Order: sequence, then C-alpha cells, then structure tokens
Amino acid sequence: MAASSATLGKTPGPRLPSGLRRVAGGFAVPVGSVAFAFIIGAVIVVVTGGDPFKAYAGLLCGGFGLACANGENSALQISTTIVFLTPLLMAGVAVALPFRAGLFNIGAEGQFLAGAVACTIIGVKFSSLPAPILLPMVLLGGMVAGAIWAGVPGVLKATVGAHEVVTTIMLNYVAQWLIRYLIVGGPLQLPHGFSASPPIGVGARLPSFLPNDNTLIIFGLPAGVYRVHTGLIIAIAALALFAVLLWRTALGYEIRAVGQSQKAARYAGINVSRTIIVTMVIAGAFAGLAGAIQIAGVDHNLTDKYFNDTTGFDAIAVALLGLGSAVGILFASILFGALHAGGSVMQADAGISSSLVQVLQALILFSIAANFLRVLRVRFPTFGRRPQAPAPETAGATLMTESAKAPPSEST
Amino acid sequence: MSFLTDIGHVLLTADLWRAALEAAVLLLLPALGGVISERSGVVNIAMEGMMLTGAFFAVVADLAWQNPWLGALIGILAGGLMALIHAVVSIRFRADQIVSGIAINIFAAGLTLFLVQRIYGLQDVGHVGQSSLLPYINIPLVDQIPFLGRVLFQQNVVVYAAIILLVLVQIVLFRTRLGLRIRAVGEHPQAADTAGINVYAIRYGAVITSGLLSGLAGAFLAIGISNTFVPNMTDGRGYIALAAMIFGKWRPLGAFVACLIFGLGQAIYDANSVIHVSQYLLSMLPYILTLVVLAGVVGRSIPPAADGLPYAPENE
Repeated sequence: MAASSATLGKTPGPRLPSGLRRVAGGFAVPVGSVAFAFIIGAVIVVVTGGDPFKAYAGLLCGGFGLACANGENSALQISTTIVFLTPLLMAGVAVALPFRAGLFNIGAEGQFLAGAVACTIIGVKFSSLPAPILLPMVLLGGMVAGAIWAGVPGVLKATVGAHEVVTTIMLNYVAQWLIRYLIVGGPLQLPHGFSASPPIGVGARLPSFLPNDNTLIIFGLPAGVYRVHTGLIIAIAALALFAVLLWRTALGYEIRAVGQSQKAARYAGINVSRTIIVTMVIAGAFAGLAGAIQIAGVDHNLTDKYFNDTTGFDAIAVALLGLGSAVGILFASILFGALHAGGSVMQADAGISSSLVQVLQALILFSIAANFLRVLRVRFPTFGRRPQAPAPETAGATLMTESAKAPPSEST
Repeated sequence: MSFLTDIGHVLLTADLWRAALEAAVLLLLPALGGVISERSGVVNIAMEGMMLTGAFFAVVADLAWQNPWLGALIGILAGGLMALIHAVVSIRFRADQIVSGIAINIFAAGLTLFLVQRIYGLQDVGHVGQSSLLPYINIPLVDQIPFLGRVLFQQNVVVYAAIILLVLVQIVLFRTRLGLRIRAVGEHPQAADTAGINVYAIRYGAVITSGLLSGLAGAFLAIGISNTFVPNMTDGRGYIALAAMIFGKWRPLGAFVACLIFGLGQAIYDANSVIHVSQYLLSMLPYILTLVVLAGVVGRSIPPAADGLPYAPENE
C-alpha cells in the first residue's frame, strides 16, 4: 500500500501545484459525499418505481432554474433558493464554530427558534416604533435569545461537564413547545383562532431588494414575487465575521486550541471553561440572528410552519459538508438551499415526493461521517491523497478540528 | 392554586394511571434500547428514527396481511434494520456516532414520508381495522382488583411484554456474563478485547437490539395505540426516551422510573380537559427535568467511559 503510493508519487506527468492540490483534496470529500448521496438516492427512486433522471431534473430546475420542463421561471427559482439559503449561512456558523472548539451544537434549531420568538415578541409589542430603532432591536433581541439558548448548555458543559449534545437536544424541544404554547391559544396568538402570531410592525421588517410593486415587471414576473431580502447581506457579513473571528483574533485562536486539545490549551494558559461558554454564546447568537432574520425578512409572523422547521438540523449538514470553513459553509448552504427550493418542483414535475430531499441530506451525513471515501481510497490508492493516519479516537467534533483543517491557515 | 386541586383530583382516577403506564411503556422500550447500546459504548440518539420506521412498516404490513402480530414483527425488524445502518456506519466505518444518529433520524423521517407517497399516493395511509390491532388483554381474576386491576392488568399485550423485557434487561445487564461483557466493552474496549471479548460482535448486537426494541415501540404506537401511520407520528418520543435513559443514569430500572414520571406527564397532558394548565408547557417538562438532572441538582449522571468512542484495535 505504502509502496504503491510512493511509486505513484514518482511517476512523471501533469502535477498540480501543492496549493491547488490541497484545495482539490479539500473538495474531494464533500463532493464525493454528495455524489454518493445522489447515487443511493437514485437507487431508492428506481426501486420504488420512479424515474431518477426526471426527479433530479426537477431538483435542478427548482434549485437553479436550469433544465426546466414545465416553463418554471428561472429567476424566481434562483430567488427562492437564495431565500432558503440565507438562514443556513448563519445557522451553519452556529454549528461550525463550536465544532472548532470541540463542541457539537445540535441545538442550532432551538437557538434559531428562540431568535424567531424574540424577534416576533419585540416586533409585535413595539410595532409602532420606526425602523431605525425597531429593526436593530428585533435583530439584537433574536441574537440575545439565541445566545441564552446556547449559553445554558455552554455553562452546563463548562461547570458540571453535562454533554452539550444532550442538553442542546433537550432545549430544541423546549423551544418547539414554547412556540406551540405561544401561538396555539397562548399569549401571542392572533385573535380568532389561527395558529399564528400577529404580524410584526412594519419597522421591524427587513426590506426586500426589489420593491413590492406589481407594475414593475422583472424577468417576466412582478417584482413583488422575488422575496430575496437584505438579510442576505447580514448573513454574508456574518459568515465573513466568522472567518475573521476564527483565524484573525485571539479568541479564535483560543477556540481552535481548545478544540485541538483541552489539556494543551489549559497548559498554555487558556481559560478552557470560559472559552467553551463564550463559544456557545456566540454560536447561539448566530443561530438566533438567523431566526430573527427569517421572521423579519420572510415570514413577518410566527406560524405553525415553525413547528416543523428544520433549519437548525440542516445547519448540521451544512457545517459538516462545508468542513467548518466559511467558504465551505457558503457552498453547502447553496446546495441545501437549492435542494429545498428544488423539492417542490421535483414533486410537481416528476411526481417524486419532496421528502427525497431529506433522504439525500441523511445520505450526505452518513457519507461525510463515515468518510466512505477514505475507505474507497484505501482500496484504490490512485484515487487521491494517501489515506490519512488512523481514525481519530475521540468522537464528535474531531471531524472538524483534527481531520479537516479547512481553509489554508495563515494564522498558525 | 385551583389547578393543583384539579391535578389532585385527576391523580385519584385509575384511568389516569393506566394511561400513564401505557405512555411510560412507549418510552421504556426505546429507552431500554438506548441503555443497551450506550452500555456497549455506542451513542444512540437515533431511537426516534428507529421508532418511526417501526411504526411505518408495522402499519404497512398490518394493512397488507390484516395480522397485528406479523405487523409488529415487521415493525421490529424494520427498527432493527435502521439500527444495523447505525451499527455499520459507526462501528465498521468508525463514524461519528452522533452524526450517524442524526442522519438516521432525518433518514427515517424522509424515507417514511417518501414511501407513504409512493405506496399510497396522496391519500391517507388508511386505517387498521379494530380486529387487526395489537390487543388489550385483561388478565383474569387480578384485573378485578379495585384500582390496581385497572391500572396493571387491563393493558395492551405490549405493556406486559415491555415489563418482562425490563426485568430481563436489568438481569442480563447486571447479573450475567453477557451483561458483564457488554459493560466491559462500553467501559474499556481495549481491556475487553485483550480478555478475548469480541468488541465488534457485542457492539453490533447491542445496537441492533436497541433498534428491535425501538421498532416494537413504534409498532405499539402505530397499531396498538393509534390505528394508522401519520408522518412524524413519534413526535419526539425517541428523544424523550433518550432523556429517560440519562435521567435513569444508564440503568434499566432507573430509566423505567424516568419513563413513569414522563408518562404521567403525558397522561396529565391527555387529560387536559380537566386541568387548566397549557398542555404545551407540560410537554416541556421531560426536557427541563432532564436538564435539571444533568445540571447535577439531583446527583450526577455519568455515561459509560467509552461511550461514543469508535474502537480500533491496536494492530490495525
């Protein structure tokens, strides 16, 4: 095995510069995992008597506006994808940042919901305030709520060692039931029995990029139907902030140090407990911001739609597929945004249930977690880089901290 | 304080305690599965998905053959099959067991919904006839005991089975050689391996058992308590079972006590018409109680030492 790859190394031929090769290597695992998922997904479709080509054509059309069979509007499909991917960018950070500290935040969902709740409460209670005051209030409120929702597991982890996976799962459900309590017969419910809250004030809403003006026709449709909103700018700024925080600040260095080895970090004088709590609080703020932006930019009120929200769980897939880097999260969010937007078109055009998207997502997770590619590479040494050292002994967040040092790190 | 007197009133009825035991059993089966799996060192947060799969296939089989026993068997096997995926991914491929567990839960939710649409189109799944449900059995003589007879001996057949399984798991885990091996593998796999125990075999067995038990719980839910399959019908019960496992400190009897507490909450929730507390606030209780336990207020809850660590033999 070692001999064969050694000879391979000596064979002359076109060789990429090492930097490029590393980038290509970084993409191999995620791209391979997605390919694996789509192949198994196609098998499932075939076995149940469907046409996988039609199904995936539907996904491609719904996600990227390409190869549309039934005259769907490409611009509208792309716009829908962007609306779906916006919260994923921030929620993805909420999972990826704790990964770097060796923590597994399964609670992005709960933190996202907490942010949505806080945004709605503030936006409804102070609905008469003007935008320059109210908009920062609802966004900050969402961040604080998310930070509290993640801070509790952080404190429990740092003080009594309670496993954050379990505590964040529990808080996910607390948030879900809180929403049901609030809007089904509770204090936030609209009068006259809908499972919905009143709309937030106009000043709490994030403006869309295009005016809600039905006389203005863009790409063949009235401008109002394109729902891409300015939350996208905030989301991308948040992503950039994440990269800077992680690679250019002392805190980011401490987070990565704690993720590599708590013991070593402690010897180096880093306050591990404090770093764990701060990491979780910041992560929760990102997820809470995502929830607030979803209310402020898209829905404008809490509805029963939020009972079945999966943004925070999608974020786990986004963070893993993106290998915990900002660029990776961007690409993974685009993929999952497109999958979600594509699901309904696939259902309409190909008659394949949009829940195939969930199946694909699960398959991607299996593939990334099990690193099937590594196993493949052991068998076919020509496939890519040499197989890495033995599997990491510790569970969880080593996925990010040990095996995949995602962006070329300038700061180490 | 009127709602306290209301609760006090309801607590005196046998029907409430009967419902509480039934709800507890629904949680107990996956919780027992979780205990076995984690005692062997494989973290299992996938009971939710295994239960959901079991529920779906139990209904499909029951509708096809009009036989609840066959339905339950298929449900159990379907849960086991899901667990096999978790086992292969996390034992053979040494994947992160938490990611694999999340993937199982997403996979089960997506796959069952997908199959509902493939098999039944846009219609309802259909209802299982009364005669094809897992039966309630009154045990002669003892079922006539006032109060206790109603609570304990007029139950579904799965409830009796679950109580037997509880005793069995408790004995096997702490009183037999097999149980000692399972715990050894979960605490110190290297030492267990050196002592000649097949770590992989024990872990595969434990994880698959957890799937079989969760599958049974799903079947009970779908063709015992309800009579149909509704997408996502487990509604977080697998996660409450996870909470019960931790609450019970990774012990079968402890988990059972936790399940009884949570089941009682569920029963009070169902009897909500008499009690004027939001059922949604009550639904938070299992999760908040578990947080309190984890916070160390009621003593520490510590998992097995090698829980979550993939095992790779030295010589590989």
